[in-house]
Amino acid sequence: MGRNTSFVHLHVHSHFSFGDGAAGLAELIERAGEFGMDTLALTDHQGFYGALRFYRAAREAGMRPILGAEVVVESAGVSGEECDLPPEMRLALPAPVGFGRAAGSGFHLTLLVKDIGGYRNLCRLLARTHVRSATEPSVVALADLARCSEGLIALSGCPCGEAGSAVRVGNPGRARRALMRLAACFAPCDFYVELMHHLTPDSPRYIATLAALAESCRLPVVATNNVHYVHAEEFRLHDVLSSASARMSLPGPYERPNAELWLKPPAEMRRLFAAYPQACDATLEIAERCDLDLGLGSFHFPAAEVPRGETPYSVLSKAAWRGLEERYRPVTSVSVGRLQHELAIIEELGFPEYFLVVKEIVDFARRKGIRYSGRGSAGDSIVAYVLGITGADPIEYDLLFERFLNPARRQMPDIDVDFDSARRDEVIEFIYRRFGSEHVAMVATVNTMTARSAVRTAARAFGYGIDEVNALSRHLPWVSAHRLRDVLATYPECRSHPLHESRYEPVLEIAEQLDSCPMHLGTHLGGFIITREPIDTWTPLQWAAKGVVVSQYDKDDVEALGLVKMDILGLRMHSAITETVALARARVGDDAVPEPFDLVHDDPRVYETIASADTVGVFQLESSGQRNLNTRLRASRFDDVIAAISLFRPGPLEAEMITPFIRRRHGIEEVSVPHPAMADALADSYGVIVYQEQVLLVARAVAGFDLAEADSLRRAMTKGRSRAEMVRIRGHFIERALERGVEEGVAAEVFRQLEGFAAYGFNKAHAACFAVVSYASAWLRTYYPAEFAAAILNNEPMGFYTPRLVANDARRHGIALLAPHVNESRERYAVADAGRAIRVGLRDVHEMTARLLAAIECERTVRPFRDLADFLRRTRAEAQAAESLIRIGALDGLGVSEADRPPTRDEMLALLPELKATIAREGVAGDDVLLLAPGPVRPVEDTSHVSGWSPARRLSAELELVGLSLTCHPLELAESDLRARSVTFAHDLRGLRDRSKVRVCGVRERAQTPRTRSGKRTCFLTLEDATGLLDVVVFEDALQRAGETIVKHRCYLVEGTLQNNPERGLAIVAESVAPYTVRTASGTPVRLRRGVPSGPMGSSLGGVGAAEEEL
Amino acid sequence: MGHNAAIKEHRALPEGLPLDLFDSAEGRRPIVLDLLATPWLVRASELRLPGDGGLGRRIGEAVAVSWDAARHSPVAFAWRGRVYDVTSVVQTWAVEHAWWDAGQRVSRRCWRVLAGDGGTYDLAFERLTGAWVLLGMQD
Repeated sequence: MGRNTSFVHLHVHSHFSFGDGAAGLAELIERAGEFGMDTLALTDHQGFYGALRFYRAAREAGMRPILGAEVVVESAGVSGEECDLPPEMRLALPAPVGFGRAAGSGFHLTLLVKDIGGYRNLCRLLARTHVRSATEPSVVALADLARCSEGLIALSGCPCGEAGSAVRVGNPGRARRALMRLAACFAPCDFYVELMHHLTPDSPRYIATLAALAESCRLPVVATNNVHYVHAEEFRLHDVLSSASARMSLPGPYERPNAELWLKPPAEMRRLFAAYPQACDATLEIAERCDLDLGLGSFHFPAAEVPRGETPYSVLSKAAWRGLEERYRPVTSVSVGRLQHELAIIEELGFPEYFLVVKEIVDFARRKGIRYSGRGSAGDSIVAYVLGITGADPIEYDLLFERFLNPARRQMPDIDVDFDSARRDEVIEFIYRRFGSEHVAMVATVNTMTARSAVRTAARAFGYGIDEVNALSRHLPWVSAHRLRDVLATYPECRSHPLHESRYEPVLEIAEQLDSCPMHLGTHLGGFIITREPIDTWTPLQWAAKGVVVSQYDKDDVEALGLVKMDILGLRMHSAITETVALARARVGDDAVPEPFDLVHDDPRVYETIASADTVGVFQLESSGQRNLNTRLRASRFDDVIAAISLFRPGPLEAEMITPFIRRRHGIEEVSVPHPAMADALADSYGVIVYQEQVLLVARAVAGFDLAEADSLRRAMTKGRSRAEMVRIRGHFIERALERGVEEGVAAEVFRQLEGFAAYGFNKAHAACFAVVSYASAWLRTYYPAEFAAAILNNEPMGFYTPRLVANDARRHGIALLAPHVNESRERYAVADAGRAIRVGLRDVHEMTARLLAAIECERTVRPFRDLADFLRRTRAEAQAAESLIRIGALDGLGVSEADRPPTRDEMLALLPELKATIAREGVAGDDVLLLAPGPVRPVEDTSHVSGWSPARRLSAELELVGLSLTCHPLELAESDLRARSVTFAHDLRGLRDRSKVRVCGVRERAQTPRTRSGKRTCFLTLEDATGLLDVVVFEDALQRAGETIVKHRCYLVEGTLQNNPERGLAIVAESVAPYTVRTASGTPVRLRRGVPSGPMGSSLGGVGAAEEEL
Repeated sequence: MGHNAAIKEHRALPEGLPLDLFDSAEGRRPIVLDLLATPWLVRASELRLPGDGGLGRRIGEAVAVSWDAARHSPVAFAWRGRVYDVTSVVQTWAVEHAWWDAGQRVSRRCWRVLAGDGGTYDLAFERLTGAWVLLGMQD
């Protein structure tokens, strides 16, 4: 690469220095390009977090990237006499730098990678430093530095380097010793003394001293600027990030004297170092010596188990043919041909080992009875199907292998598998055991700032108190920070937001600039890297907060390196299905309940469940929009389920595919395609292009493309389409169609449709794999509703709805909800009364402890608890937990009071402190609560209930302590008021005429504002009343009026027009939304959701609980 | 010769001038500049005692400055009716302080210059106001 610049920046921090860098990678590269620089280094603190992105982006921009890192190193120049000095007289260590558990406090040293050997050594050095101990700080040991220095060039560091620090405090002797020892760790000529001119009054002296020391040590010098931001004016951003990451207010931990850490042009750097031209020349020499080629584009698979004499292909092939025999009865010529075709491509692309590795993992899960399912485009492959990785037959559902693996584009295959969440750890343990812990690590994710986090970061740096910070970030929608002003100006819920005040203008300004800034490194939910060579030769590692070893690279980086990433995802629905089956088999017998994944998909009752939108808890089909679609689609076969899953996705929604699909399906609109050849390809979607696979089929049918070519066409249409590129593709498509005798106008129309829909289509294979799980869950819901609801509740959080709604839905289906009880409840939710009731588990009661749970279970095997005293004596329940249990009704009906009836909850609560004190004092309590006379308590509110509490009070306690409304739905308490207001209930809506004016009332379950093609905001509210769910659509004009109410309240009176027709489904189009407060007969507000419980022994004698409205 | 070349190369006792180190003002300037930049010497003006403003004089008055765009440095400044030629720029630095507090904020670029009268002056360009200020006289 030709050189046309006089200086190369070799010490550069980006956002990926997490808190100590305000430069975006793209901006750095762009600015360096503007300066005519052809080389640029990236040296973030303690890692390679942004290195791969930088490497790829720089090369794309025609720039040579130098990778490196600024690491913290243990002290090199400690002399014997300094050890004897008191700590305050020793050379002070700089503040810790680095992210999370890779942060360390030590002297800085800049390391640059010369070649691939250096890259591997730096990865190893970083990994060794960061993961050698989960507790020790991440500081590079000199011995490790010497061991891993080959292929690296070291610069002595910024003023926080050991030499720099010593010079700053006027101890050149100490600096000299440090330089000598550090230089000894590297090959001759690979250690440079780093000079920085930061335009402080001390800079000339600092540089002159270091230069003199370098001369005396015979070390070369090099000039850098310790770049932390691209443009001079971005220093404010840097200060804010530093302050926020150190949890300090401005000026933050460094108190920098000026703002000179920007990417200065070569001429400026030369001018600063006019007295040391050799220092600038050295940057060019170093750049010339650094030539890293990571060999991107090749793949590196972990080693699969291959017996002697076999090859990975032969092992895969044999397994696949065996699988074909099992999956297809009878084996057809189509399936044989398809398998041969796929195996040949897999061999040609060199991917047999990848398939074998995935197979090993799913085989383990199958052997252990761990439920799993493959998902994604892997469902397009018959090989994945016959190996048991995926569950949908690709031939039956017209799934195309080329959509998964395109032989024309050698890309790493990606097979995602969902495992039973409850047993995912067993799979992970197997992977570590099978491949070795030194070959496995988790993938990182980079979390970036959104509007909310950016405002919080800026406000914290400006020194605002936590309450003010909360107020500033509350009620901001989840949007990008650069949209903050737009959101504040246009979103009704932000109309009275405090950020409108002029005193917060600096916060707003900084927050906007923080848009998309990497905030911290997270751990991917289930992504694992598996390598053949030790993983630390590929990627630096560190401990994640959750205690696992994680790569510093995210999934895109891993893919770019050509490493295998396996997504071992946990799916709670699998756990729920497994548990439902177990509960159902326990009740009706093992043989009575088939394996739901093996069901034939032809049960009309299941389709009735789906078509009637009775799908709370059903995988992928339960959300409000999806339920609306279910009623419109009226599914009657498995293909309809696949379509339902595919249509309610951002792409198809944005392309407005649903309406034509529904209209054509129900014969309202004629199915028409521009060319008859398209009819076959689009037969299962009535001529609408819904699936990505259909783009391939149409291109094949009309223009005669083979499937690989057709997939390339689809990809070209989907990703980053330039106008010129589209013109070229269009020309090619039409030319090929013309060759096949298609009229030009028809070909152009076909292309127009492909172009319009290709980017929005959904992967059918993914939908088909999900549909298998959806059908299984719908079947279980249909036939074992109590078991299904109990299993869903046991595996929360999952799905679209809160546990409260799942429980309410069960009650609406005639399943009784029984409060937890110390003599009846298990730890988890259980089915009672022959499938007609669900007993709430004790685990979910507030203040419950594992010890108390075990004590209850253990004591109950001896004999049931007789009364409160007996319970306290035998379990030694903590006061808070005992109070919760009493209030939730877990001790209702136990014992006998003076009134010859079981004591009320108030009486038990009044006795509790005295009983606890007696037990603590004497070790036992009286055998009967009557021995201790309770103090004065509130009069019995409801004599018909054993608790003595009114329904409102019971309900409030239930919502507070288990988050459920067991007694009744809160709106049942306001039924007479609602009737007086002429409110229509959810179960009556279906009987009303389309376009009727209605007034409904409901508690908010969800509020969503998805993206629409028009760009207008529409809010979809899912409300619940005592009789069912209400789907409310609030269009932009109504939202302008109601936005603030929706955000700030939880229960609403909605007036609007009913939409009730087969084409559009059932919904209410809101005209007004007003807050509604549920009150008891005495006028007290009623709690509507789980809240923060009041303090121990506090509210037990109080009212019905706090009012719910958030104000 | 490395650093402080002027000092090392200077002939301390030129012929005919036994009691003077320098033969002219021009001959003296490189030595002065070397000394000002020498890391192991501390100038008297920088010595500070507790509660003391130092031996230099703080001035803080507006001055008119002639600017050399090619050299990125001042060439002369006018102060109290007298024009001072800048013979050398000794040092330059920048200050950015308390940007988040309008009342406390300082943002300036400073030049320490050797003037024709032999004095060392600190000039500052105030970025916020666009004005030049003579911060002080050092020696």
